[in-house]
Amino acid sequence: MPRALGIVTPSGNNIRVNGMDFFRPISAFSFLGRYRIVDFPVSNMSNSDIEHIQVYVSQNPRSLAEHLGTGRTYNINSKRGKLQLLFNQDSKVNEIYNTDIRAYSDNMDLIELASEPYVIITPGYMIFKQDYSDLLKEHIASGAEVTLLYHKVDNADKTFRNCHTIALNRQKGIKSISVNDGSDPETNIFMDTYVMQKDLFIKLIHKAQKRSSVYRLIDMINEEIDELDIRGLPHKGYFSAVTDFKSYYDANLELLDFGKANDLFTDEWPIYTVTTDACPVRYVKGSRVKNSVVANGCVVEGAVENSVIGRGVEIRKGASLKNCVILGHAVIGEGVRLEGQVVDKWAKVVNIKQIIASPDNPGYVKRGDVL
Amino acid sequence: MKQTEMLAMILAGGRGSRLKTLTSKIAKPAVSFGGRYRIIDFPLSNCANSGLDVVGILTQYEPVLLSSYVSQGRYWGLDSRDSGVFAIAPREKADAELDVYKGTADAITQNIDFIDTYDPEYLLVLSGDHIYKMNYSKMLAYHKERKSDATIAVIGVPMKEASRFGIMNADENDKIYEFQEKPKHPKSNLASMGIYIFTWKTIRKLLLADAKNEKSSHDFGKDIIPALMDAGRNVFAYRFKGYWKDVGTIDSLWEANMDLLDHASELNLSDYSWRIYSEDPTDLPQYIGPDAEIDTAYITQGCVVDGKVVNSVLFTNARVASGAVVRDTVLMPGVEVAEGARVTRALVADGVKIGKGAKVGSPSSSEILLVDQDVKGVE
Repeated sequence: MPRALGIVTPSGNNIRVNGMDFFRPISAFSFLGRYRIVDFPVSNMSNSDIEHIQVYVSQNPRSLAEHLGTGRTYNINSKRGKLQLLFNQDSKVNEIYNTDIRAYSDNMDLIELASEPYVIITPGYMIFKQDYSDLLKEHIASGAEVTLLYHKVDNADKTFRNCHTIALNRQKGIKSISVNDGSDPETNIFMDTYVMQKDLFIKLIHKAQKRSSVYRLIDMINEEIDELDIRGLPHKGYFSAVTDFKSYYDANLELLDFGKANDLFTDEWPIYTVTTDACPVRYVKGSRVKNSVVANGCVVEGAVENSVIGRGVEIRKGASLKNCVILGHAVIGEGVRLEGQVVDKWAKVVNIKQIIASPDNPGYVKRGDVL
Repeated sequence: MKQTEMLAMILAGGRGSRLKTLTSKIAKPAVSFGGRYRIIDFPLSNCANSGLDVVGILTQYEPVLLSSYVSQGRYWGLDSRDSGVFAIAPREKADAELDVYKGTADAITQNIDFIDTYDPEYLLVLSGDHIYKMNYSKMLAYHKERKSDATIAVIGVPMKEASRFGIMNADENDKIYEFQEKPKHPKSNLASMGIYIFTWKTIRKLLLADAKNEKSSHDFGKDIIPALMDAGRNVFAYRFKGYWKDVGTIDSLWEANMDLLDHASELNLSDYSWRIYSEDPTDLPQYIGPDAEIDTAYITQGCVVDGKVVNSVLFTNARVASGAVVRDTVLMPGVEVAEGARVTRALVADGVKIGKGAKVGSPSSSEILLVDQDVKGVE
C-alpha cells in the first residue's frame, strides 16, 4: 500500500464556537469527559497506519501542543513516525485571510519534504471513525484524482451549519459543492476529508494562492470540478460536527446513548487520549446519578442526570445537574442547581443558587470563572 | 550517565498464596487494586514522586505479566534519559544451576552487578506488595542526618497485633538494638514495613560476606540487620505515620479496597500532588445508565452501571446490569453482573461473569467470599 501523509486541518473561519474558542482551537475542545476533539482524527490516522501526521493550528497552540506531545500516546512509533504541530499566525487585518491554504503555504517546505506520495486531509472539528487505509485503497482503485468523504444526513436543516454539501452524479462524481444553508434536511454533508496525490495537493495550493488570497482548498476544488476527476465516498457510522456552541453541546449529550457510543468507540479501533492519572470516581452517600458519563477523578455528592462530567469535577452535597456538560476540574457548590449549561474548565459555580436553560438554548460558564 | 544517588530495588518475587486463586497465574504485586491500579503501582509511583530514577524489580514467582507490566516505565514517568524500570528475573549462572533466591538479602546479592552499573551511594529496598504513599526522599534525608548505615521504616501497630509483624526495638533516639521476627511477647509495637535504606558501600561488603555464610538464611530482617548491629553499625528506625496495608489475604485486600470509600481515609488517591500512576486504558469514561442507583461507591473508567451499587468498588470495565444489586463487594476488572443478580460481601475475580438472577455471597458471612469462577444464572 502506498503511504500517505496525514493532515489535520484547522477549522475554517466559517466555524466558530463563541466563548469556548476564545481559549483554545476547536480541535482542543474537551469532549465526552476525557477526550479532545483532535483525538478522533489523530487516532483514526494512527489506527490506519499513517505514521506521519501534521496537525495545523493557527491560534492558542499551547493546549494542543501540550496535549499532542510527541504523539506517543497515539501509538505512533517515535522512530519511524512523526506527529508535527504546525503553526501559522492568524492575520489580524481581516478574518477572511485566515484560510487553510494560507496555513499550508506557510508550512510548504514541510509538506514538500514529506516522502509520502499521497495526502489524506481531515478536519479537527468533526467526530467520526474512519479507516483511512480503506479510503486510500478505494481512492486508488477508482482512478479518481480527488476523493471526498461525505455523510448522508437527514438533519442538515438543524445542524451542520456552514459545512459544505455535495451533490453527486450517478458515477459518484461530484456535481456541485455548496455551503449548507439548511434548506434541505436530507443532504450529503462533506466531511472536509480529501484524498489525493501530494503533488496534486501542492499544485492546488499554488493555484489557489494565485486565484485569490482568501481562497480555501474547498474553493479551489469547487473550481476544478469539471477539470479533475473528483468523486465522493460515503461514510457510515456515527458522525457529528462541532460548528457552533449548540452542536458542541448536542454532540456531547448525544453520546450519552450507549448504543451510539458503542458505534463510535470499539475495542479494535481505540480512540487515544492523554492520561491525567486521575483516580476513580468517588460517589458519596446521598449522591444520585442517572444516564450520565462521568470521567475519572470526580467526587460526586449531589444529583446528576443526563450530563457529561469531565475529569476531576466536584459536585457537592445537594447540587443538582441536568442536561449539563461540565468540563474538567469545575466545582459545583452545595445546593447549586444547573440545567442546560456548559461549564468550562476550572470554573466554580458556588455562590449563586441556580442557572436554568433549556437544552435548545444552552448556557455557557466561562473557563476559570467564579459564579 | 549521571551518578544515581539512590537506586531502588523492589522485591516482587513473592507468591502471595493466601490470596488463593488470585495469584495462581500472576505474582502478588501484579494483583489489581483500587479500581484502576495494580499493587506494584504504589511503590513505583512513590519512587517516581520521590524523585528516584532507576528501579529494579526482582521477580521470581509467575513473572511474565508482572515483568511486561513494569517494563512500561512511562506509566510512572520513569522513562526519561537516565531513568528506567528494569524487571530482573533469577538467572542461570555458568557455575550453577538456575537457582531461586534463598532470601531477601540473597535477591539483592545476586544482582550486585546490576546495582554497580549505576554506582549508587544509597540503596532503597522495598517490598512490592504493600499499599501506602511515602516520600522516600524524606527518609533518605533522615538516613543522612543520622549518619545511618541502615534505616528501616517502621509503623506503630496495635500492641495485640504486634506478634504478626517483624518488630524493631529501638532506644529513645530511635536507634535500633534488636529485631524480633513475629515475637510471642513483643517489646514494642514498631513493625518493620519492609522498607530499607542502606549506605551501599557498607551493605555491599556485608552482603558478600553473608553469601559465604552457610548458616545464614540470607534475609534482611533475620541476618543482615542483626549483623550490622553486631558490627556496631548505625541502624535507625524511621517512623512513618499514615496509611499502610499489607494486602496479604482476601479479607485484607477487600478491606483495603473498602477503605477507598471512606472520605476520611488517609489513603487519599485524589491528592494531585502525590498521584498514583498506572496503566492508561483506552476505554470510555464510565457510563451510568437510566436505571442506576449508586450509593457510596468507587467506580472507574470503562465501567457500565445500570443496576444498584452500594458500598462497593468497581474496577476497569466492570459491568452491572439493570436490576442487579452489588453490595459490600469488590468487582475486579471486566467482571459482569447480569440482570437481577445479587452479589453481597464478595471479591469477584477478573473477568468473572455472574449470570442472570444468581445470588452470590451473604450479608452475614464472617469472611469475604472469593468468586473466581463464572456463576450460572437462575432461569
